[in-house]
Order: sequence, then C-alpha cells, then structure tokens
Amino acid sequence: MKDQNKIRNFSIIAHIDHGKSTLADRLLEQCKAVSQREMEEQLLDNMDLERERGITIKARAVRMEYEADDGETYEMNLIDTPGHVDFNYEVSRSLAACEGALLVVDAAQGIEAQTLGNTYLAIEDNLEIVPVINKIDLPAADPKRVKQEIEDIIGIPAEDAPEISAKMGLNIHEVLERIVRDIPSPSGDPEAPLRALVFDSQYDPYRGVIVYMRLMDGRIAPGMKVKMMATGAEFQVIECGYMQPLGLAPTEGLSAGEVGYFSASIKNVADTRVGDTVTEAGRPTAEALPGYRKVQPMVYCGIYTEDGSKYPDLRDALEKLQLNDAALSFEPESSIALGFGFRCGFLGMLHMEIIQERLEREFDLDLVTTLPSVVYEIIKTDGTVVLCDNPHDYPDPVHIEEAREPFVNASIITPQEFVGNIMPMCQERRSIFKDMQYLDSTLVELHYEMPINEIIYDFFDALKARTKGYASLDYELSEYRKSDLVKVDMLLNGDQVDALSFIAHREKAYSRARRICEKLKENIPRQLFEVPVQAAIGGKVIARETVKAVRKDVLAKCYGGDITRKKKLLEKQKEGKKKMRTLGTVQIPTEAFMAVLKLDEE
Amino acid sequence: MKYSKSLGLYIHVPFCVSMCYYCDFYSLGGRAAQMDGYVKAMCAHIRDYGALCGGYSVDTVYFGGGTPSFLGEKRLAKLLSEIGKRFSLSRNAEITVEANPDSMSPKLLKKLKKAGVNRLSVGIQSADDDELAMLGRVHTFAQAQDAVRRAQDAGFDNLSLDLMYGLPGQDTGRFLRSAEAVLALQPAHLSCYGLKLEPGTPMARDNPVLPDDDAQADLYLALCNRLCEAGFEHYEVSNWARPGRRSRHNSKYWDLSEYLGLGPGAHSYLGGRRFAFVRDLDAYCAGVTGAGGPIVFEEEDVPTMRRHGEYLMLRLRTRDGVQEETFQRLFSRDFAPYAAKLAPLAQHGLAAQELGRWHLTEQGFLVSNSIINEVLSADDPAEGPANLDL
Repeated sequence: MKDQNKIRNFSIIAHIDHGKSTLADRLLEQCKAVSQREMEEQLLDNMDLERERGITIKARAVRMEYEADDGETYEMNLIDTPGHVDFNYEVSRSLAACEGALLVVDAAQGIEAQTLGNTYLAIEDNLEIVPVINKIDLPAADPKRVKQEIEDIIGIPAEDAPEISAKMGLNIHEVLERIVRDIPSPSGDPEAPLRALVFDSQYDPYRGVIVYMRLMDGRIAPGMKVKMMATGAEFQVIECGYMQPLGLAPTEGLSAGEVGYFSASIKNVADTRVGDTVTEAGRPTAEALPGYRKVQPMVYCGIYTEDGSKYPDLRDALEKLQLNDAALSFEPESSIALGFGFRCGFLGMLHMEIIQERLEREFDLDLVTTLPSVVYEIIKTDGTVVLCDNPHDYPDPVHIEEAREPFVNASIITPQEFVGNIMPMCQERRSIFKDMQYLDSTLVELHYEMPINEIIYDFFDALKARTKGYASLDYELSEYRKSDLVKVDMLLNGDQVDALSFIAHREKAYSRARRICEKLKENIPRQLFEVPVQAAIGGKVIARETVKAVRKDVLAKCYGGDITRKKKLLEKQKEGKKKMRTLGTVQIPTEAFMAVLKLDEE
Repeated sequence: MKYSKSLGLYIHVPFCVSMCYYCDFYSLGGRAAQMDGYVKAMCAHIRDYGALCGGYSVDTVYFGGGTPSFLGEKRLAKLLSEIGKRFSLSRNAEITVEANPDSMSPKLLKKLKKAGVNRLSVGIQSADDDELAMLGRVHTFAQAQDAVRRAQDAGFDNLSLDLMYGLPGQDTGRFLRSAEAVLALQPAHLSCYGLKLEPGTPMARDNPVLPDDDAQADLYLALCNRLCEAGFEHYEVSNWARPGRRSRHNSKYWDLSEYLGLGPGAHSYLGGRRFAFVRDLDAYCAGVTGAGGPIVFEEEDVPTMRRHGEYLMLRLRTRDGVQEETFQRLFSRDFAPYAAKLAPLAQHGLAAQELGRWHLTEQGFLVSNSIINEVLSADDPAEGPANLDL
C-alpha cells in the first residue's frame, strides 16, 4: 500500500499561452518520466486540435516519480484541466481530485481571465495554491509587479514564488521542491470502503472505457466488483494502474490518495460520468463524493455534410466521438435545404466548435451547420408542455399559451475598472442584474440572471474583448422563464429555407433578421434573375434585401470555331454550381450558410 | 457530279506586323521570312484535304488570323488558286479575308477582288486613338477610315468591321462615339467583342481595371439599341448584319455545320469529330510536308448522344435560336424538358418564344453562359439524396 505522505496530487492553472503545457513537459522531463527521444512538444495535449488551439479539451493525468532534495521519492500526479467555461464542470471535478494547484502566471502579462476563474474554483475546493512566475526570460518580464498582483488580486502570498522559464528549462527543480513542500499529501482512509472520484473517461477500442479516477478512501484491485454510485452501473475490474505520459501502466492495485485508472469492459462512456463516485459493490461507502452533476447539452444545432452522400460517414463519426464524450448528443433530422443530417447537443459554443472541427479533421468531412439554438419550453394551449431545440419543431403561435426560455445564474469576476464596460453589454443581452460584490479592493464579482440564448453566440468572446481578457465567466442553469419568443423564417425568392429559421426574443428578432438578410445578400452569387431575400415572422415580412441579377456572363467569341474551349468553360462553370445547393430556383453556396453562422463574430 | 454536303473552309494565317496586347490567337509578330514556307506547307495541306473532301462542296472560305492581309496579295492569291484547284468551290461561295488597316494597300485590295474575295473583315476595334494605342494596334482611326474607303473604292461592298467594348476607362458616351464613327463607314456587318484579359497576353500581365460586369452590360445594351436603330439585325451574341449580310461562314459554327480549319491552331468539325492542328508554325509546316510528327493536337469525337447538347449550346447564341420541331426531328428527342427550363427565363425577359422557336433576348445573350448551363441541366440526373441508409 502506498504511503500517502509520499504522494502529491496537483493540477496547473494558467491562462492560454502562459505556458501550462510547456511547464508540464519540463516537469515530466525532470522526473525522467519521458526520455528525450519520446519528448514531443506538449505531451499532455495529445489531440492535434488541442495543440493548435493551445487549449486542453479533455482532462489528462500523468504520474511521475520525483526524487526530492530530502532524499525521498515522491509519487507526483499531475491532473491537467480543460480551460473554457463550456468545460467548467470538468475543471471543477479535476480540481477536486487534487490537494493543490500550481498557479502559473506570465511574468510579463500578469494575471488574466481564466487564471482568475479557475483559481477561484480551486480555492473553493480548498486547494493549496502555489504561484509560479513563468517566462522570466522575456525582456518585458516584471516578476516583482506580477507577484504583487497575485497578492493583491488573489490574496495569497507570492513573495517567494519560483521565477522560472519553462521554455528555457530554468528553475524547474524549484517548482518540484515547492510541490513537495507546500502541497499537502492526501489523507484518505485506505481501510475504509472504496470511494473514488471519476474525473475523466475515455473509450479504448480494445479495453472498453478507461475510467480515470482519484481514490479518496479504500483500495481497488483487479477482480473487484465496483459500482458507479450515480448511474448505478456495476462492473468487475479487469485492470487497474496509473498513467504514464505515453500509456497506461497496470499495477496490482491502487489505494487511497493515488490517481489511476481502471478498465472493466465498459462499453459506453455514458455509464462512467465525470464527477461520479466509484465504490465497491459489495461494501459501498455510505456517502458519494459531493458535486456530481449530470451534464446536459445547452446548445443544439443541425450538422449536415456538404456532400449528401457522406451522411453515413457523418453518423459513424458522431458515434465514434460520442464514445469519448458523454456530453455530445445527436439524433437524425432532415432539412429541405440541407438534406439528411443530425441534430446535435453540446455543452456550449466551444464544445460545438470543437466537435465540428474534429469531424472535419479527424473524419475528413465537409460540414454545413445550422444556427445554434438553446432548448425552449413551450406550454401549449391544450396544456401540454413541449421542449423545443429546433426552430423546425416550433409550434404555431396560435397553439402557444406560453413560451419559456432557459436562464442561467451567471457570475462574472472582473477587475473593477471594467465594470462600466460589462454592464451595458449585459443589459443589451436582456440580463437581470442581481448584485455586485467586492472581492477585494480591485476585484469585483457581478451576478446576473441571463438568458442562455444571449450567452451562447458571442458573449464569452465579447466579454474578453471588453475587459482585455481579465474577466471570467461562470454560469449555471437556473430556470425557465416566460419570454416573448418568435420564430423567424428566412425566405429566398418566396421559398422558406428551413435550415435558416431561428427562434429569438421579439426585441432581438428584427436586428438579427436584418443582419442575416444582409449576409445572405453578400454571399449568394447573383443569379439569372433578382432574388428577394426576406425574413418573416408568421406571414409578416420584417426584413428584405435583394440579390441582384447577374448582368454579364458570356463568352463573346467562339474562337475561330473552337467549340471545345467553350464547352470546357461551360463545364467548369457547371462544376462550380455542383457545390451549391439548389433551393427552388435559387442556388446557394455552402459559404452562405456558413456566413450566417459567423454573424456574431463581427 | 453532285455534291451532297457543304463545307466551310478556314485558313489560319499566323502572321502579324506586331502582336496586339490583348490577343491570344496563335500568331507570330513580323516573321515575314517564314511566310513562303508557310504558303508551301499550306498548299500541300490544301491538296491533301482537298483529296479527302471530294464529296464536299466548299461554299465559304475564311482567311483568319493573325493578319491575313499581312501575308501580301501574291501569297493570298496563291492560296486561293490552290483552294480553287483542290476543292470544289461553289460559284457563289462567300470568301472572306480578315484585314488590318495598315496592310490594305490598293494593290492588295485590287488583287484580292480579282482573285474572288468578296468579303473583308476589318479590325477597326475603336475610333479612339488612345484606346487603339492601349490595345497595341499599329494604326490610328484616320488610317482605318482611309483603308475602309480604299476597300469600298476597290469594289468591296460586303464589309465587316470589328469593334471592342469594355476597354479600360470606357464609358457609354465614349463607346457610342466609337460606334457612331464606325457606323459612318457604312459597314454591312459588325462584330463586337468584349475585351477579355486572356492569360499570357501582355494586357493580362498589365492587368488594367476593366469596367465591371454591370458597366459592360450597359455598354453592350447601348450598342444593341443603337445598331437596332441603324437597321442592323442582331443575329448572334457578338454579331450584327444588315439584312442578307450575315456571315455565312461564321454561321456554320453555330448550327453544327461542318468546317475544316487548316493552319497552326485552326479548329475543325468534320465527320462528327472536332480536332485542331498544333499551335506551332514550324511543327505544323514540318508535319504537313511529311518531315515532322503528327500535327493534330486536340481531338474529340462528338457522340451522337451529345450532339443535341452542342446544338443547344451553339444555337442559343443566335437570334434564330432553336425551333422545337427541328430539334425533335434532328435528335429524336423531346424538347419539353428544355422548354421547361427556358419558360421561367422568358418570364424574366431573358428568353422568348414565337411559334415554337426559342431564342435568347439581348439581355439573355449577356448571360448566355449561365442560361446554356441552366438549359443543359435538364439532362442531369434528378437531384436529391440517393438511397440513404437511414
């Protein structure tokens, strides 16, 4: 059994680009967890997408052995966390699996948004925060000011924080010593019934689901029958062990305080939800670990393939992604404009973008997506309640007694100087101000009730833009509230384009409809005749633009009888048309759909 | 002997005083020394093909270029006499020579007239000397006027003049002034082409700003109106004629008639095949005289199946358009699917139908590429998702 005094479980909190992954790589190197040869930049982010975006999408964990200056060898478990509000819940579960966290701050830029949000999550979980000043090799580095900032804003001592350069490999040793010295060792009861926190799970085609967990109490070993306390599923452990940077290392068992994995021929990640508690089926623990939440999709959109015949490929790809992502949901739908596709549910916009990008990259699909929507609750005149996440299913207004939209309790932490920028932005988004608290002399926490509809498109990006990246956002679904909702249909040449319909609050419908009309006008190539682009609520047109007719498209000369050349030119034009979707008499390129989706990025 | 089939004969003359900046036809600037070799090879080619085309009667001959007039009266007369010897040339054949104002000497004109040439196509392009210089033309408009008058004095009444529109900086006023000056020369026929920057030409490398598509459309329609007033018939996208003065040779291109093109870079449609000769004078001459390799560099069989598509593509460029019954008789194919594509275009004023004859309007001519593709899409397999495993 492992001596818990020799275990340290920690995570790293850092803003994008502040060097989290590079530091992780250096720690692994110093502990000789990977050989130089195996050292691929940023080992922990092993999805291409993560490396490129510089963000961690799924939590990762790795064990390393560190021989400290005191002569003892410590088992160090680094649990990496995702870094976006869409994945806040995953972050909180990863943090809950640790006793401490390294707070990595850029010596030039100082504290930024994500740092704050995640640091507060860590403090709430009673983690010991160890500040680390990174990038001291930069000419603009000002470690003294940054340390002061940490003390002022977060309120933890930072005077003797290690000053390092992960890139240059400078002072990494000091960081490791600090982990040993400052982060408490775990203190679970190895003799108590098994109680382990699931912080991630991943599907492996050979072993089934691999469940990543932190043992709080008790032990686990192959052969043991375990139970997932939230889902109730029971499994017989086939293998358990710990994580190495480049794979899994099976052991005879794990005990309280350790971080590791087990596999048990589990077929579906949905059975092993993040935040769930693993216990021994025959000797269950009295109480599950706190904080479990069933993850619900907040945002829905339709996903289609540009080439209709790739529909089965899309289905296969979604099934494969879902094996690893319990938060992704999908079901078949069809659209007159786009053909056959899927209605997919996501945690938030980033989650949606990531899934779309993975489908395009890892499965080589060209996608067309519809406008994202939240789930609305409609009470019909006959008293029935329907949930609606698809404008296509939105009932006729005469049958609606009351329409409701989901609200969240949002908390925004920001330096006080930006409050003046944030408040009008929230007001524009129909948010209800609740209160404002001073966390210290400069830092403010704002509470709002906001419709998710207003958050999903661009709120997070706008917030960052207006606060130089300092503000952080966290939100939690609160309730459905009565709302003046309308369904807006888009019409091209009088024909409705189902894939472009959207549900919005009446106040917002007009400006949004106008902008979509403008976007379509810009992106639909001129046709042989004028095409009116209209937005309508019910039968009433609320916005209109016109795609002008093409005026000139002619090969002037039939070059001395060179008919072949003319045919080739026509063939080429025809190829271009194939990439367009024909709706009634109008041809729309895929880009037009895409441009409408990107509406809010401007 | 009875000749059942008629043939248009095109002779490509790949020589010019200098290359115009916009032109991508195959031509060589000022290689007069090679002209004799070219004429020798061409005579051999005329002889060979004359033997192959025994069943044809040649009713149009067209010397295009390049600048055929630059070849000089002696060489042109030699080629014409060779054609007369090797082909059966019908008595009322239309014989056209393209000519540029700078090489239309009274001597040349007289000799051509005598040799049987009855139509001249003169590249005027513009009546604006700045525009002419920009295009790389080697003549002024005054010189062009003189040349045209010389031709008329020599007895050529069937004159076609070329005009270009859509030049950099050209607005409707400026363009119509050119058109007016050209009309004053009393042509029987006008060809008017939009300037297009062809890849590889000096003008494409300069990449000047051309009037945008809307402005070009306005120029075109302004010309259409003016020429209609002047009594011209707009019988093809880029061609206007006084009554009875259509180009019989060019008309063959638009109704699937057969034509033989000799010379480097010349195209033919003969016996259900489209082919072209190599765009290289030396290779062409060597190949024709038996000293070189094969000279057919592009070849395409037009299966009977696809001929109706070509027919539609070509006929829709003309004012005569497509007669439903003729189409059905020629191709044993129902015209209804195409009519269904044309009907909505007619509603928007792009096409028109009279007594079963469909044709494009002038607005329709301007977007004829899109229209032709739209009409031909009637042949495409039904759209929509195939059998999906749902």
